[in-house]
Amino acid sequence: MADHSPSQSPRGLTRRDVLMAAGAGVVLGIGSLVVPKRYFRMPQQAQAFVAKVPHYQMEIADAIARGIRELGIPPEELKGKRILLKPNLVETASGAPHINTHPLVLRGTIEAFLRLGAAAVMVAEGPGHRRDTLAVYEESGLADVLTEDRIKFHDLNYITGYELENAGRQSRMKTLTFPALFKEVDWIVSVAKMKTHHWAGATLSMKNLFGVMPGIYYGWPKNVLHHAGIENSILDINATLKPHFAIVDGIVGMEGDGPIMGDPKKVGVLVMGRNLAAVDATCCRIMGIDPYKVSYLERADKWLGPIGEDAIEQRGESIASVRTNFNLIETIPAHRGIRLA
Amino acid sequence: MKRLVQEALSKRMLSNGGLADRLNGRFQVDSTAWGVVSFRAAGDGSNFVEQSCTRLRAEQSNDGRIWVSREHPDSYWPTSLAILSWRDSSASQRAQGRAAQFLLDTAGSHPQKKPGDPGAHDTALKGWSWITGTHAWVEPTALAVLALRAVGHGKHDRVNEAIRMLLDRQLPHGGWNVGNTIIFGRELHPNPESTGAALTGLAGAVDRQMVSRSIDYLQGEADRLRTPISLGWALLGLAAWGAWPSNGTALVERCLANQTRYGEYDTSALCLLFLGALAGESPAQHPLLTHSDSTPAILAQ
Repeated sequence: MADHSPSQSPRGLTRRDVLMAAGAGVVLGIGSLVVPKRYFRMPQQAQAFVAKVPHYQMEIADAIARGIRELGIPPEELKGKRILLKPNLVETASGAPHINTHPLVLRGTIEAFLRLGAAAVMVAEGPGHRRDTLAVYEESGLADVLTEDRIKFHDLNYITGYELENAGRQSRMKTLTFPALFKEVDWIVSVAKMKTHHWAGATLSMKNLFGVMPGIYYGWPKNVLHHAGIENSILDINATLKPHFAIVDGIVGMEGDGPIMGDPKKVGVLVMGRNLAAVDATCCRIMGIDPYKVSYLERADKWLGPIGEDAIEQRGESIASVRTNFNLIETIPAHRGIRLA
Repeated sequence: MKRLVQEALSKRMLSNGGLADRLNGRFQVDSTAWGVVSFRAAGDGSNFVEQSCTRLRAEQSNDGRIWVSREHPDSYWPTSLAILSWRDSSASQRAQGRAAQFLLDTAGSHPQKKPGDPGAHDTALKGWSWITGTHAWVEPTALAVLALRAVGHGKHDRVNEAIRMLLDRQLPHGGWNVGNTIIFGRELHPNPESTGAALTGLAGAVDRQMVSRSIDYLQGEADRLRTPISLGWALLGLAAWGAWPSNGTALVERCLANQTRYGEYDTSALCLLFLGALAGESPAQHPLLTHSDSTPAILAQ
């Protein structure tokens, strides 16, 4: 698995921060100069791109390719790479396609990465609510799309794992077991759904990564992660796995009692970026949610990524132009008081 | 079907016993256990089956559990499968007894429900979890009930409590999911595999009227099922209540043909499908549908 660029330590210092801090130390040692505070704690900066995509029949691949270009990702970074897309497939229910990442978003993402030079793209998921991954794959409509496009799908619930030391250290879990398949890919992309969540406030690209943890080691639902603390686990997984990119399907999201029982909410956007915390914070603002009130995002701030509006360079559409307040339910504690002013 | 089972699974046999997780794959505990049960359901008592039982015994830990891999001792869910696979192996009786005792001594977390808990189910009822230290869920509990009933513990308090736990997790409109019923006032969705597992575990232990809405749900789902875990458990659950569908064989054939779409099924999923298919042919001899004489008392509603 390739590393990030810029590389990032588990506690949030980038390699550049370390070099800058070391440089500042040298300066201090030599001349006792007054060193600006920013050299000791460089504010993280990230970019998020928002594309208007009013419906699923639009040219989604074009929107994603444009986003990748405008985020400054050079073609040589993708050329020849093996890309793993991790959608949000939870379960299926009649009349509720908004539970899962829409298959046409996956198709557009695959096409965009291949167009930009990726050697291979695959899709992999380990649903938390269903033992039968293939059933969710089929009933979500994704099987039709991937079969037609001849793209391989992998069941992450029933797969050999490999252990990594827990780099996040927010929960009591000393190690995390990821699918061995991840050792064979260069980029891991969280292709999430824009939804409210009745335990976490919102589920976006970071929470989506619960689905990479194999069910044979974490159970159904991924109850080991619940017992370790949902927010702790979100942070641990992201800090350890270090995913490379995020795309959030907000063309039609879910409001109210998400992640499965909520109502469809048309927003008409795709949100993407390298830094998952920044992408999720941008999604929250679009949903009318204050990211500082979503506990795992607040804890990720200045560590896994910035969530402050002034620290995220917004590209594409402005947040204000696409903001669509999602319905929040006052009786759900995780929804209480998180509305963005 | 019996010939098909033998042909398909023989391709996944390993030379030193046991079955691989998939074609050209590597030894896997649950694949081996499901494979042994499938061979027995197909009437095969060959040396390979006994050799596989021996291989499974080598995987048993000192406390009796069978884990999914040595690196993950908390993943004890294959223990129930091993008990079922050792049922007709005289050489495995001691290992089977130790595994059963491990299950009887183990429970998923079962905290008393706190006031204001957004979930509707009774968290204090003991069942079994997938992983030690976590909550009890439907499928591992159903499998443990099947395993313990198969080896004469049908009247044990733990089995009776687990049956109550399964009934408590039944959805108001029928069916089961992984094990949550109502959260924040909303009834959640059922799924076929959890429903099939629960119905299989409860057959012969509770009155039909207590689960009739779930049988109805599963009968309504069967025709549309295209994947092996859902269809396998659905056929088992329906067979357990004498409701194996008249087009069951066609559904199994369609599911097998779908491997051109999904790729070769993993061994455990394939075995579940075969077991569901065989449940329609000879339920009286089926290892998941026949229990010891220690059948639990039928519970009063």
